[in-house]
Amino acid sequence: MSDDAADVQRVLAGDVDAYAALVDRYYDRCARFAIRMLGNRDDAEDALQATFLRAYKALNRYQERDRFSAWLYRILVNQCRSIAARRAHRDKVFVREEALLLNAPDRAVVWTGEDEEFVQRVLSELDPLLREAFLLKYIEELSYEEMSALTGVGVSALKMRVKRACDRLRERWERIKND
Amino acid sequence: MIDSERHPYVEYIAREARRPVVIDPAAARERIMAAVRAEPLPRRRSVFWEHIVAPRSFTLSPVASSLIAAGLIGIGVLAGALASNGSNRDGRPPAGQGDPVALGLPVSDTVVRFVFVAPNAGKVSLVGDFNDWDETRAPMIRADKDGRWSVTLPLSIGRHQYAYVVDGTWHADPSAPMTGDGFGHMNSVKVVNKGSTL
Repeated sequence: MSDDAADVQRVLAGDVDAYAALVDRYYDRCARFAIRMLGNRDDAEDALQATFLRAYKALNRYQERDRFSAWLYRILVNQCRSIAARRAHRDKVFVREEALLLNAPDRAVVWTGEDEEFVQRVLSELDPLLREAFLLKYIEELSYEEMSALTGVGVSALKMRVKRACDRLRERWERIKND
Repeated sequence: MIDSERHPYVEYIAREARRPVVIDPAAARERIMAAVRAEPLPRRRSVFWEHIVAPRSFTLSPVASSLIAAGLIGIGVLAGALASNGSNRDGRPPAGQGDPVALGLPVSDTVVRFVFVAPNAGKVSLVGDFNDWDETRAPMIRADKDGRWSVTLPLSIGRHQYAYVVDGTWHADPSAPMTGDGFGHMNSVKVVNKGSTL
């Protein structure tokens, strides 16, 4: 039995704290995808919170024949999609709160590397479906079969999305070079 | 002609994007586990039970929810009276009245994030009709050094009243609509619609 399966069994047997081990094991990787996909920490934290909570509530429906990581990722990808889709509505609601927090310094200081903000901006210029496919392929380094299982999209369509994402990035580089 | 997928610029972007991110993991994990502990334990179900409790797609009005809650509370009281002892099977404190999660009522998938600015506070918690105004059930975590406190939790669809308890003193949320609490103070109001967020 894998560590994941053992932890799931412990949770189902009543040991809630065993879930913390699963959160610890997958949080960083999920956080990276959520931030790259959504472009900011607040949305990413919401996606992560909702993902781990949903996974916990659905844990008794998790099938051990599936890899826990793939199952969790499927939930994460869906959460990121719905948060991105609701972003326009949420931005309106947040106007009041932002006014209240005007005295708070910019939370974007969490970026760690010098190129971090630049890379995030480049990724945010990609269409969300292309960005999702690019991240799953080149950042999470999944196979097309794994990506297909996660997203419900066919392998050939995913290959096309990844290729288009790379084409867009390359076109961006060409524009910069020519300026 | 280099294939786009092997272009140095694309490889550079991918390499940089693979770097780990910093997202204050300790506090974030604490929030996740606080929300998880507020949920009933997931248990293995029989096929029959799976069918009985399978989610159905319908929406209850707050009034209907209250009526069902009242009915379930009645059932709970009756069951409690018939039981040989009153302790919960999982050893958790008894569910409070009106708590849809504890009562097993349908809840929305809406996860609501509450943020309150209190730079000088030592302890902040969220209280509301969703947690029986119990300041021990939704402690807020200091999100950063600048005095932002936050907690994220799932709420049922409907109208909720809430307030923040800052070092023992209750405060309404200045960024939300308010209503009287019937005792001379004000509470804040959050309306959760299907798919809404704060």
